[in-house]
Amino acid sequence: MADLNTQPHATAARALSPTDELLLVRELERFVAFELNLLDGREFEAWCDLFTADGIYWAPSRVEQDDPLGEVSLLYDDHEIRQMRFLRLRHPRVHAQVPFSRTSHMIGNLTIDEVNEDRGEIAFHCRFVMHDYRPEWAQREFAGRYDYRLVRDGSSLKIKLKKATVINCDAMHFPISIPL
Amino acid sequence: MTAGIDVRQFVKRDRVHRDIYEDPAIFELEMDRVFAHAWVYVGHESQVPNVGDFFCANIGTQPLVMARHTDNKVYVLHNRCGHRGVQVVNTQQGNAKLLRCMFHGWTFRANGEVAGVTQPEGYATDLKLDPVAYGMPKVARMESYLGFVFVSLSPTGPSFKEYFGGALSALDDLVAYAPDGEVELTGGVLRYAYPGNWKFQADNSCDMYHVVYSHESSRKGNTQYIRRPGDAGGIPFFDNSNKVVTFDASGLWAFDGGHGWEGAVTQSHGNNAPWYADYVALLEKKHGPERTREILTRKRHNSIFYPNLVIQDLNMHVRLIRPIRVDLTEVVIFPIKLKGAPNEMFLESVRMLNTTNSAASLTQADDVEAFARGHAGLRTKNGNPWVLIARGDGKEENDPVYENGLRTFGSSELLLRKQYASWLNWMTQEA
Repeated sequence: MADLNTQPHATAARALSPTDELLLVRELERFVAFELNLLDGREFEAWCDLFTADGIYWAPSRVEQDDPLGEVSLLYDDHEIRQMRFLRLRHPRVHAQVPFSRTSHMIGNLTIDEVNEDRGEIAFHCRFVMHDYRPEWAQREFAGRYDYRLVRDGSSLKIKLKKATVINCDAMHFPISIPL
Repeated sequence: MTAGIDVRQFVKRDRVHRDIYEDPAIFELEMDRVFAHAWVYVGHESQVPNVGDFFCANIGTQPLVMARHTDNKVYVLHNRCGHRGVQVVNTQQGNAKLLRCMFHGWTFRANGEVAGVTQPEGYATDLKLDPVAYGMPKVARMESYLGFVFVSLSPTGPSFKEYFGGALSALDDLVAYAPDGEVELTGGVLRYAYPGNWKFQADNSCDMYHVVYSHESSRKGNTQYIRRPGDAGGIPFFDNSNKVVTFDASGLWAFDGGHGWEGAVTQSHGNNAPWYADYVALLEKKHGPERTREILTRKRHNSIFYPNLVIQDLNMHVRLIRPIRVDLTEVVIFPIKLKGAPNEMFLESVRMLNTTNSAASLTQADDVEAFARGHAGLRTKNGNPWVLIARGDGKEENDPVYENGLRTFGSSELLLRKQYASWLNWMTQEA
């Protein structure tokens, strides 16, 4: 599954004019801010709608993990599992989320890796910090790297792959209920 | 009396006292009396396939390392230097010609013996640096059963076979699923933790009473979500009337020592998947149709080898319970691969383990919530200090299929009563 790994692509952004790069970075930042606001606002169904039909959300269990199929992951959600995950979060007896987590996702250091005009795909990465607080539990902080592969769908962008690599993804964790 | 605490008062036939979940002094005793005496699971030989491979483990709170020596045998060593006691191996797993202590550079072989002492002329000539006595100590007793490595840190006590008895049939039947007759632990590791005593997880390992309530949010209609492509439904919670819980009929088995298993909750392990016919054909080629049918008649869901090993048949994995503190426990999940089976079978299992057993699981999170709230609720000292484990008391019967096996209905707490009888037995052993 090497194509799931967006390798740094030094030449990609350079192919863009400085103005185009600036505009694209701003567009991507706005997209990610919109996406993360949906998670923090508990608008999970709208968050799911940002993915393509075959879109994947992946959080590896090891920083170097490059195979999401032959090795276990914290999350590896396709459309079907995302539906299950959020149906569950809407259930009145989702005990692990009563009371529910309040989260705050932030990003920075956004870097474009590849712009593929033919496929209409954009690959980029950024750093993220996510705080998760559930009343009666200690507030937790997750930090790491997002790798995105977006595809242009008319005038909007859709997520083909979002990979969230937490720097301590191989540590033991208390339950993680909201996507990182 | 054990170190000033009479633990007998805490375990009655049908109830146990909250102190055994909450008292740090009892936790310390358990680390000695239970974990350092009983047969405890360490790892699987497939985790150290090559000479020089090592894998770190724990017994209770004590650090160990499992390693494969040049004689191709697996050894389990206390992970401390023979010199000043510093932990020698500092990475979870790897391969090394010699294990080297970072402090003063002493080196050790994978069988624990000293390979080299730095600047040996500094020691008095009458201090004979015996390679075993000053090595990384080997554990007192070790047994590898079908590749599953168990150790006892005590030189005396019941033998491995005496302790596990008829419960070992669960391992026999597990490896029989593999066309090559062997399993391996591969495909990464999942780890989750909870703020609560290790016994919450042991208690819950074969608890079929909690499922429909704790896991209500992952239920759709009468069943849980579908685990394998091609299946018509997930694990059935209720019968067609939507009233009767199905798990009672699937049964529960219990053994002295606190071992046992839940009966199979579904007979479908991807039976409708495209690769399933190939898998059956591989088994039939080896065993013939009759024995294959017998192998594929699923007998178990979760099995516990008390105190720290749980094996699941459905999304095949090993679950290792690791006590850290009286109120903190880690659980480590290792996928099981059936050697010789179609790889797709393993991939499906991995895929479902992400949803069932990772820290971001759709089901495990609710168990963890129950453990955390158990820890919160058992801070209650006044009022009622007891934890009731009376369900199904006296309803069990002998099952002649298994050596000293007892059988009862699925949601019985028989296995808890067996676990606490075993716990009390270890805790009252003379040190």
